[in-house]
Formats: sequence, structure tokens, C-alpha cells
Amino acid sequence: MNQSLIYLIRRLGFYLVAGWAAITLNFFIPRLMPGDPASIIFARFRGKLKPEAMNALRETFGLTDEPLIGQYWTYLKSIVQGDFGISIAYFPEPVTSVIASGLSWTIFLAGTSLIISFAIGTFLGTLIAWNRGGKLDSILPPSLAFIGAFPYFWLAMVFLYLFGFKLGWFPLGHSYSDSVTPGANIQFVLSAIYHAILPALTMILVSIGGWMLSMRNTMISTLGADYITFARAKGLRSRLIMLRYAARNAILPNFTGFGMALGFVLSGALLTEIIFSYPGQGYLLLQAVTSQDFPLMQGVFMTITFTVLAANWLVDIAILFLDPRTRS
Amino acid sequence: MLIKYFRTNPYPIVALYFFLIGCEESDHEGKRALTIYQESQASWVRNFNPLTPAGSARWPTSSGIYEPLFIYNSVKAEYVPWLGLDYNWNSENTVLYLTTRSGVKWSDGKLFTAEDVAFTFNLKKIHAGLDTRDSWSYLKEVKALNDSTVKFEFKRVYVPGFDDVAGQPIVAKHIWKYVEDPIKFTNPDPVGTGPFTEVSRFESQIWELNKNLNYWQKGKPEIDKLKFPTFPGNEQVTLALISGKLDWAGAFIPAIDRVFVEKDPENHRYWFPQTGHTTFFYLNTKKSIFTDKTVRKAISYAIDRDLVVKVGMYDYTVPAHLTGVSGQMSKWHPPDIEKKENWVKYSPKKANEILDSLGYSKNSSGTRETQNGEVLSFDIIIVTGWSDWIRSAQIISKNLEGIGINARVKTYDFGAWISRMQKGEFDMAIGWAEKGTTPFPLYKGMMASEYIKPVGTVADGNWHRFNHPLADSLFREFEKTSDRNEIREILFGLQYLFIDQAPAIPLFAEASWAECNTKYFTNFPSEKNPYATLSPNYPPENLFVLVNLKNK
Repeated sequence: MNQSLIYLIRRLGFYLVAGWAAITLNFFIPRLMPGDPASIIFARFRGKLKPEAMNALRETFGLTDEPLIGQYWTYLKSIVQGDFGISIAYFPEPVTSVIASGLSWTIFLAGTSLIISFAIGTFLGTLIAWNRGGKLDSILPPSLAFIGAFPYFWLAMVFLYLFGFKLGWFPLGHSYSDSVTPGANIQFVLSAIYHAILPALTMILVSIGGWMLSMRNTMISTLGADYITFARAKGLRSRLIMLRYAARNAILPNFTGFGMALGFVLSGALLTEIIFSYPGQGYLLLQAVTSQDFPLMQGVFMTITFTVLAANWLVDIAILFLDPRTRS
Repeated sequence: MLIKYFRTNPYPIVALYFFLIGCEESDHEGKRALTIYQESQASWVRNFNPLTPAGSARWPTSSGIYEPLFIYNSVKAEYVPWLGLDYNWNSENTVLYLTTRSGVKWSDGKLFTAEDVAFTFNLKKIHAGLDTRDSWSYLKEVKALNDSTVKFEFKRVYVPGFDDVAGQPIVAKHIWKYVEDPIKFTNPDPVGTGPFTEVSRFESQIWELNKNLNYWQKGKPEIDKLKFPTFPGNEQVTLALISGKLDWAGAFIPAIDRVFVEKDPENHRYWFPQTGHTTFFYLNTKKSIFTDKTVRKAISYAIDRDLVVKVGMYDYTVPAHLTGVSGQMSKWHPPDIEKKENWVKYSPKKANEILDSLGYSKNSSGTRETQNGEVLSFDIIIVTGWSDWIRSAQIISKNLEGIGINARVKTYDFGAWISRMQKGEFDMAIGWAEKGTTPFPLYKGMMASEYIKPVGTVADGNWHRFNHPLADSLFREFEKTSDRNEIREILFGLQYLFIDQAPAIPLFAEASWAECNTKYFTNFPSEKNPYATLSPNYPPENLFVLVNLKNK
């Protein structure tokens, strides 16, 4: 166990360095973009504001000409204090509260669809690898790879048009019906589920093929291993061999992939959310970038970065338990 | 296994689906709220501060919850008294006396007085960040003489300052005097004088605004409630409009007759009136070749505006007028305007003649060159994704190719585009011009030397960097007079100067986008009933619509 502790601490050290690098890039990259937020807000009005209004805008947003390195120190200090500053696009709302409003919906929508797609995909992969050459094995991989090749926002638009607009089976957007009040009541929960089905479905359909194929491939090479033959020779039940012997070993690469995907969830649902008018993070990020809202951009990227790092660390821990080889 | 189970027993899934739908159908209890789209957002942030740089406060904060003193009606081209009743200047135009309306109440029942007006302006003096109209660059003192008179004393004579005074949303002194930092105040529960003031619901994807029972216009507004669902983009708005989920919107919809009106010709309506303003084709006048006004006119002759309007703008508008002043603003045109050289008429022949006579001869590949052998080759910069302007620029590019000028369309991200424009780092671009209640801001924005900065430095206005001494002196005269005839004469002078100099090339008249659904509500402005513009995108003009809409 001592060995594993050292391993975990080493990984943690690595993540800390990665975290610092991300924080630093997060500061400098947005500032390399041409233009400044006051000009962009002014220009949005397309001549409805007088040129003189620029003075007031600069004053309000407190845009400084302080040298970058000085700004960087102030930035590091406030990050440590958990203060991400005030959003410019949503002035004067603090960045943390702007992000908080969208984050839970994104985690609900993208997180659920990721877990569903991971679970079903991995399970199907196990199944078709076990019965390789069977009917499912010849139908599923090509058809899901075909669907997976669609850009997910395109699929989202087709689904919205077909099932939302033409057939009217599902709502056209939003995360719950306007007639329910958000809170701990059954109507709100059901409405939220109903509204999530269509966007979740598009994300699941597109990503499921990847999970299935990677599981199938590792599974097949695992099935050729000596211990599987040995297990068969012992006369173990085939379901036991499939799940406890083969799948448990074959799932490791998928788990690592899950850790990566968990982070991309926060950013990846961007277009799906916009298409379904879903009040998540996706539109926030777009808004932050188009209005050069540095504080908001930093806040959104920071949540994404830290989720990726945290998720990967959790996966490291999980793999430690799943794979005894990492412990020695 | 599960799949097999559901194949033989689909009932649980079907039952679940109908159960979920059942929860949705309780939608239409009571009267329908007027459902509006004006801002693109995916989640609402509660901000009703009418004084912060507009844009971060929810629509209609400054044009529904709060109200200005006078509202300019762009369809009728006149000021309508609102919280203000009347105004007059002293003989030197250094003091403005403004009478406020009596009998107006704040939504909390307290009386509105001239004190509130003076307080609002003085608040902008203390907090420079609130002064988005830059009023204190010419104001000296604002005070209430009694309950219904405000005295505005000016530092220097600046008559156009009235536009800034007129449009200022007024806040309540008895509330805002306790606000510590009005710049960062989000004003979650606003107290206003407007027709709709009571926020009855606020969630991230929808909010609702109820009417002000104390509203000063007796019996108005007739509708009880406004509703604002979030829409992140035009596609979502279009779908909602077609399926009847929206009553009023200000969105650009391509091929609107087929897409929107045909679905319900009885109720689905739109009206895209001209705003009186113009979209321009800008040439950077710091480029040596574009310093020559005849070159600028030659380029203008080469542009086929009918095609630009047809292909680029879906025929929603008309080619620009020579002066860049159109629609209701045309009342400012000089009477002899028809006799002037009309260089916005399409004539590639004339363009070629001018360029030939200036010695820009064509080389072997048919492109013109300067005497030094430099090829006339330029970039037209446009914002990525602004498809109407991109198509327009592509047509212009083709047109210019026809007269031997090589012009490539280049798209940039909005921030990068703005930065290039402000710094004067462009050859050619499509852009807007300053708007106002007279053509004065338009011409000042494109000809005043005070805005000009060296290329590479951010300029707040006049991005193509054109100036003329006559223009500057006309602007100074304009700022000093409140006499109607003198104003007309100066505006004539500016138009003659514009026609003579061609500082920018007018492309097409600007139109405002607006759609409505008359199934539940009536008395929307239209071509037959043009009491105001239909578009909600020009606050505070939308107040005319909000108070006059009726339930069906």
C-alpha cells in the first residue's frame, strides 16, 4: 500500500504542475487575441452609441494599462482566493455566479449522456467481442461507426427539426417546461428529464460507437491471453469468464478514456446546448470568447481544466484498485 | 436482454413517454403573456440597472421599466414628450429649461418630480462610468428649480446635447441615493415609471414582467404580462416564431415570406421599415490612392447596388441615397439634390473612364497599376459569419474586378475586425455609421478631425480617417444653434460637402428587423398603422408599442 501512496502523490505532483501551466496559459492566450472588450461592447451598438461613450466603458470595466506581468501576479493571487473577478459581458455579475448558473445543467445533460454512452458502449463492446463473428458483431460496429462519423451538432439539428418541430414529440428547447417551478418537485424532475432526452440522445448516439469499438478491440486481444484459456480449461461458466476475467482487464483503457472524456463534457456539449437552447455552459463560453470577456473566459476554462485534472486523478485511483500491476 | 424485453413489452416506454408529455400540457392556464425575443442569451442574469453601459441590463430595462424624458419616433421623425413635457433654450443656447410631466408616479406609489431628473444627471457626474452619453463634457450644472422644472446649465454651447438629455432613462432619487456603487448595482427589484415594472418570475431560462398598476397613461398598458424565454440564436428564434411560441421578435430571418408568413398568413407578419440610416462601403483614406476623391467616386460607380441588395440583403431594403440619408430622414435633403452628380448610380463605364484619365492603366492581366507599377490590389474586411455583408462584399469584389481592381474578401473574427477598423489597418470594409435624430452624428462620425488618430492607434470614431476643414467648421456651427432654419442650412451644407468629397460610399439603406404574431395580441405597428417602428431593437422607441398593444 505504501507503494501506491507514493504513486498517488507523484501523480498529484504532476497534476499540480499541469494545473499551474493551465492557469498561466489561461491568462496569456486570451490576451493575445486582437481587440479589447470595451471596443467590442461599443461596436455591438452599431453606431447607436456616440464615440465618446468609449470613455465611460473603459472607466466602468477598469481596463488597465498595467504591464502584463503585474496583471499576472494580481491574477494568481485572486485565483488562489477563489476570486475570478467580474464578468464583462454580464457586468457586474461575478464570474463564479455566472458559471454556477450554467454548470449544473451541463453536468446533468453531458454527464448523464457520457455515463449512459460509456456504460452501454462498453457493455455492447464486451458482448460483441465475446460473440465475435455473430450477428450483432457484424451489424453494430459499422452502423455505429457510421452514425459516429456525423458531427454531433448536425445530428442535433436534424433531430430537433424532425422530432421537435415536424413531429412535435419533444420540446424545441430549454431544460424544463415554462409551466413548472424549479425545485424539489416531481413535475420539475420529470420535465427536466423529458427536455434532456433529445439532446442527450444525439450525444449518446454519436459517442457510443467509440466506446464500443475500443472495448471490443481490447477485449478480443485479452480473449487470446493464456489465463482465459486456463479459465476455460478449469470449466468456469462463460459469463464469469467474460465479465470477471476478460472484461475487467479489457476495460482499463476505456476507463482512462472516460477520465479524459469527463473533462471534455464541459466544453464538448457546447453546440448541442446552443441548438437546444439549453441553459448550460456552452453558450457562456461562446459569449465569453466573442465579447473578449477575459474574466469569464478564464473562469470557464479553469472549470474545464480542473475538471479534467480532477477526473484523471480519480481515474488514476480507480485504476490502482482495478489493476494490481500499478501497485507494485 | 433489455432490448429483447422491450421488444416484446414496449408498454413501459410508451407509458413513460405519455406520462412525461402529460406533465407538459398544463401550459396555458390563464391569459397568455406577450412572449418576446430581443436578446440572444442562453441563460438570464438578473440585472435591471438602466444606467450601466446598456447591454448588460435586461431588455426593456431602459425602455419599459424606466423611461426617458422624450422619445424620438423614427417613423414620424419627431420627438414625443414622455416624462418631459416641454423644453426651451435661453437666447445664447447655454441654458436648457425642461418641464417635467406632473402626475407621474413611481411603481412604489411615490411621486415623480424634477428632483429625480436632476438627481439622475448628477449621479452620472459623480460616477464617470455611468456617463455613456458623455454629458458632463459639456454640462456645467443640473438642478431642479421646482417640482416640475429642471435647469441644465452648459459649459460650452452644445445644442445636440439635447438628444442625450432627452434619451436619458430617469431613476428614482428616493431609492438610488442609498445605492453605494451604482455602477455595480444590479437593481434586482426595480422601481420605475414605465408600463411594466413588476418582475414576477426570474429563472435562468425564463423571466416575466408584470404591468405597473400605477402607470401614468390611464388605462394603459392593456396587456398584463411580458414573458422572455431564452434563445441563443436566430435558428431557435425562427423555429419558435414559426410554431407560434413567440408574439414579438426582432430577428433577421432569410426568405421570410416563405419561411414565416406562409405558415399562417393571417397572423404571421413582419415589417422591415427603413431606419433612415445607411450601410457604407469604407475606403481607408490614409491609403495614398484613396486620398483622391475621384478614385473614391470611381469605385462607387462600379458597384451594382441593385444586385447587392437583391443577393446580399434578400431584397429587404433599397440601394442607398447619394447623401447616405434615407427613409424618414430624407426630409433633410436639400431641394436641388437631383442636380448633383449622382455617383451612387451603377456605371462601370464611367468608373473606367475616371481611372483611365487618372493614368491607372491596365497591365497584361487586365489589372490596373499606378504609374510606379504597383498593382491595385486590396482586401475588403468583413466579420466572420455576417453572411449578408459577406455576400454583399463578394458582389462588390466582382464589380471591382470588372474595372480592373483586385479586391479580395477577407473575414475576421468580430474582435479582430473591430481592432483593425479602429486602428485604421484596412483597405476597404463594409460598416455602419453613427445614428441620431438628425444626419449630424452620421456626418460628424465620418468627417470630424477630432476623432482621427494615427494609423495603428485606436480611434473611437471616424475609422476611415477622413477630415475636411469645412466639415469641422460646419460641426462647430451646428453645435451652437437651436434655430430650425439654421440647422437645415448647415445640414444642407454637410450633404453638399459629402456629395463633393465622397468620404465614404453609401451602399444600401438600413432596415430594422421585426416580426409579430397577431393571434393573441393586436395593434402592432405595421405599414398601414405606422405609429412607431415595430422592431424592439431600437429602445426607447419600443415604449410606443408596449403601451399600445391590445389583447385580442
